[in-house]
Amino acid sequence: MDLNVNGVPVSTDSDPDAPAVELLRDGLGLTGTKLACGNGVCGACTVLIDGAPGASCLLPTAHLEGRSVTTVEGLDGAHPVQRAFAAHDAMQCGYCTPGFVVEAAAFVDRWRAEHGDVDPGRAAVATAMAGHLCRCGAYEGIYAAVRAACAGEHDDPASAPRPRVEAFEKVTGRARYTTDILPAKRLEAVIVRSPHAHARVGAIDAGDVPHVDLLPDDRTLRYVGQPVLAVAAATRSQALAAAARVRIDYSPLPAVTRPEQARAAGSPLVYASRDERRAAPRSGEGPGLPGRWQGNVRGPSGFGRRQATAVRRLSRAAERGDDRLVTAVFTTSVQVHTPLEPHACVARWDERGDLHLHVSTQAVTDVAEQAARRWGLPPERVHVVAEHVGGGFGAKGRLGVEAIAAAELARICGVPVRLVFDRSEELTDAGSRPGTRTELALLADASGDLAALAVDAHGDGGVSVDTPTALFANLVYGTAPRRLRDFDVVTNLPPGAPFRGPGGAPLLWALEQGVDEMALRLKEDPIALRRRWDGNPKRHALYDRAAALPMWQRRNRGAQSGRIRHGVGVAAANWPYLLNTGAQVELEVREGRVVARAAIQDIGTGSRSVIADVVAAELGLPADRVRVEIGHNNGLKGASSTGSKTTTSIGPAAQDAARRLRRLLGDAPSVAHRLEASEGARVVGGRGRDRHGYLTPVPLGGMAVGRGFAGAVHVAEVEVDTRLGRIRVTRMWAGIAAGRIYSERLARNQCEGAIIQGIGYALYEQRHIDPATGVVLTDNLEDYRIPGIADTPEIEVYFHQEGWEHVNGGGVGLGEVAAIGVAASIGNAVRDATGFRPLDLPIRPDRLLEGMRP
Amino acid sequence: MNLPSTIRAAADTLRDHGGQARAGGTDLTARAGIGRTSGPFVDLRGVAELRGSERRPDGSVRIGAMTTIAEIAADPLVTAGHPALAAAAARLATPQIRTVATLGGNLLQRNRCWYYRNPAFSCHQSGGQGCPARTGASLYSAVIDRGPCVAPHPSSLAVALLAYDATVRTHRLGVVPAARIYGDGDDPTRDHLLEPDDVLIEVTLPPPAPSEGWAHHRAAARAAAEWPLVEAVARVGRDGGRLTSVAVAVGGVARVPLRLPEVERAVLRDGEAPESLSAAAARVADSCSPLADNGYKVELLRATVLEVLEQALAAPSAKADVDTPAREG
Repeated sequence: MDLNVNGVPVSTDSDPDAPAVELLRDGLGLTGTKLACGNGVCGACTVLIDGAPGASCLLPTAHLEGRSVTTVEGLDGAHPVQRAFAAHDAMQCGYCTPGFVVEAAAFVDRWRAEHGDVDPGRAAVATAMAGHLCRCGAYEGIYAAVRAACAGEHDDPASAPRPRVEAFEKVTGRARYTTDILPAKRLEAVIVRSPHAHARVGAIDAGDVPHVDLLPDDRTLRYVGQPVLAVAAATRSQALAAAARVRIDYSPLPAVTRPEQARAAGSPLVYASRDERRAAPRSGEGPGLPGRWQGNVRGPSGFGRRQATAVRRLSRAAERGDDRLVTAVFTTSVQVHTPLEPHACVARWDERGDLHLHVSTQAVTDVAEQAARRWGLPPERVHVVAEHVGGGFGAKGRLGVEAIAAAELARICGVPVRLVFDRSEELTDAGSRPGTRTELALLADASGDLAALAVDAHGDGGVSVDTPTALFANLVYGTAPRRLRDFDVVTNLPPGAPFRGPGGAPLLWALEQGVDEMALRLKEDPIALRRRWDGNPKRHALYDRAAALPMWQRRNRGAQSGRIRHGVGVAAANWPYLLNTGAQVELEVREGRVVARAAIQDIGTGSRSVIADVVAAELGLPADRVRVEIGHNNGLKGASSTGSKTTTSIGPAAQDAARRLRRLLGDAPSVAHRLEASEGARVVGGRGRDRHGYLTPVPLGGMAVGRGFAGAVHVAEVEVDTRLGRIRVTRMWAGIAAGRIYSERLARNQCEGAIIQGIGYALYEQRHIDPATGVVLTDNLEDYRIPGIADTPEIEVYFHQEGWEHVNGGGVGLGEVAAIGVAASIGNAVRDATGFRPLDLPIRPDRLLEGMRP
Repeated sequence: MNLPSTIRAAADTLRDHGGQARAGGTDLTARAGIGRTSGPFVDLRGVAELRGSERRPDGSVRIGAMTTIAEIAADPLVTAGHPALAAAAARLATPQIRTVATLGGNLLQRNRCWYYRNPAFSCHQSGGQGCPARTGASLYSAVIDRGPCVAPHPSSLAVALLAYDATVRTHRLGVVPAARIYGDGDDPTRDHLLEPDDVLIEVTLPPPAPSEGWAHHRAAARAAAEWPLVEAVARVGRDGGRLTSVAVAVGGVARVPLRLPEVERAVLRDGEAPESLSAAAARVADSCSPLADNGYKVELLRATVLEVLEQALAAPSAKADVDTPAREG
């Protein structure tokens, strides 16, 4: 059949029933068009068909016959909306960006033709962009970009400043992600996964198809979706067919799929022996806490201060019916990371026996080290590449099964092997934030001070253990007596993984609502109470700002009775400051420019730009004279994009390198005029120590815990439709105390995205399981509901930049602290609006209706 | 793939060679991806008779089955005379689905039950036995339970067509009321009653009522692009101040889209005072029999029905534009 693609006639004999996105990406190499959900939900695959946006993942190829298709590549970087996306930083990881850009280009053209060059306002943009999902939550920038493009503000090709150095690559579809690496001669691999929640595996007959065993040592499968083996074939459909032919002997075992069931006496054991328990996967990112086992329950891991005093005070208060004792049981649902770029790897062994891994990862250096250990190679012979990474949020922190399987198959087959998870795999076995059940008790004394605190948190992380939650209550609200206990309840469900502020988000859902409840009991302003209880001076500055906000000042007082009710809620957050003490940045003068290199990756936070901004400022150079090369393990000491530590690790290293280069080039305020003559000059800068050192005396795996806590205060305004059970977050203010902000627009984008993800956690996101089989039912983006652009409130972000003078560079990470308190601020706002205290996440319409029932 | 150019040729091909008719292909492509259909497909895009919309001499409006959702949402004939259909079209799915998905495909799509859509399960709908949703995760299941399967019917347009007393014409059935192609929902193996070799040709909307209020609402958690938990359309006709007709249709709650005659009668009988409307809407509870997780749909159905009734009654008797000749489709 014949069609026209981006102005070029194309003849193809590809499968007319296959989705058009396959022809565009695999057939024509137009990889700007992304395949993310495969279900017509996320919009990443949007292309223009005779000028109208269409979802190419559900469009039969046959329907392109005789038609004119425009992909993001066809816009050629020349459409005003592309410049607008770059200028307003309307992106983070960029994986959804081509889809948004294509849709927005059509909308902007249509709008301007019908209405002239006027701002369409938020609502019209929300309607037009309703079919696109951005997991990073860059919606504020997208609103701004589309509105500005409609108003004609980006017609001039002389480009406005771009806060993000790789913005142009992302808005044109030129940015290459791991899923876009398509070596001509390659095999495609797929993973065969367990259909049983618990089974022992006997014989496996894969015939003569190349395959690799992925079973654990005890050949026991403990959840539906657990990898059994991987097979490779010339195409994905052939690999799927081969996978379907593999014969596996399963001996099913009894399974538990619900925490309540797992805790019951006599229920089947997920781990029957000590050795099995020891091999249980961990969902946390720290060194792991000890815990005793009783059946399927592990724990407690106990923490606290004057625990016996806390327990005594709380039980006496309960006996006397003290009104200043707040107790409640809070639950949170399993939240899935689901980055729009799925887990993916393209593996190749070269003729010297070096291993080359293109992998979608948050940790190029860690993956390289783990791969070197696994395959017995010296580290310099493993070459990891992650040029662009389509989101991670904690799920891509280590060498995963996609890389292990691809590398093993590549070795067996002697050709590159590509393995890309589909959305079902991504939503089933690629990482999730464990659910929790948290019992909270909070006691105030006669003067309204915190007298005692108890938190018992039970993590619901499937087969994984180590879900510290209560632990983080050690870090807040002074030194009052407290008992904090963490338990894991294991089930035959997929394992959890660290997710943006692991443990912090579920703890604050409980604790910050408890504090709010206490303020109600004490008849005290919730901000004023926190200000009294919270000794952190940086957060005091945020409380003062929050208390002065018009939405706080003018909030409703007292009960409301109408159908539509409005409420305002506040929550505070506290989060440890982590860093990689050894992080390095190398600068080299090349062809009149400074090339910066670092062994980091950019998952959407803007790490390239942080380095570029620091180096350009220090050397007095225009932005285009600095080029940043990251996304490789290049022998330098790097930092993983986990634990909110990349910027605070790499920023000072870039500063140090720039100072060294300046000295090398003669110490002028600007080195611009010296660059031509300094070809090849090279320096390496390091992350200098903080004043007073770190809380951890020696770094663990290159990582240290620094002194001080990052802080945040969120104020949420909601509108609740009590008839139809709908909650809309209308406004959100975020005060962030993380010290110096390296790149303001990018930092703001992070905080805005954190709010979007927090709204998802609060209102929509929930992994559902079939209780009978343990199958994940929400294995598509239709049933697993993440926020869209129309769910975005108006957001204001305030940065309090003082208080981190002891830190080299003056600033710490903010990606996590900006996220973890959001849900609690919404819960408190719902309570303020309705009188109903939501205890369970997400606050679905049915739960609100139930809670509002008289 | 087969590409007939007439309805007869399409129907004959389906009869003689089997396979499935394909309109926009969005649902078929999605289901092919999870092994719920394998073709072969008889592609209808070459059949000119299935396209376009027009006003007939009697004032009724014909919409060809291959008309896209986006075309319906923007069609002046529909927005003027049958605005609830235009609203339902404008709000369903996403903009980039609406440009390719069609009227016929929307009416004949398969259900969205997360058990049916997951290859790990077998059920009545996928050629097996039983309904895992009934005893499993039933949060989104039908609450008006009239048969072995509890997957709610997914078509938003069907809800509006029922409210407008629309008819459909198929190759084998001829012209029948829209509700006829769904039956009463007691067949758990299918989402519509068309035979595999039948072809949906067109929908006919009766002439627009001269003066009526209308409302459409989708109840969902997120603002857009979400399958509704409950969906409803109401139309009310007036003669001066007097209510002369009430139509209420709902989706998301039963195996088939439903009219609610008992609610309609109650409103006509008892009038539009707030207590009367509440009592009328509360009648929906009589037909509900919730499962473990979907009890909220009883309340949400009542609330959504009340919502569309109130809105339709409050609407300034939107005078349908019946006199101006509209552009022929």
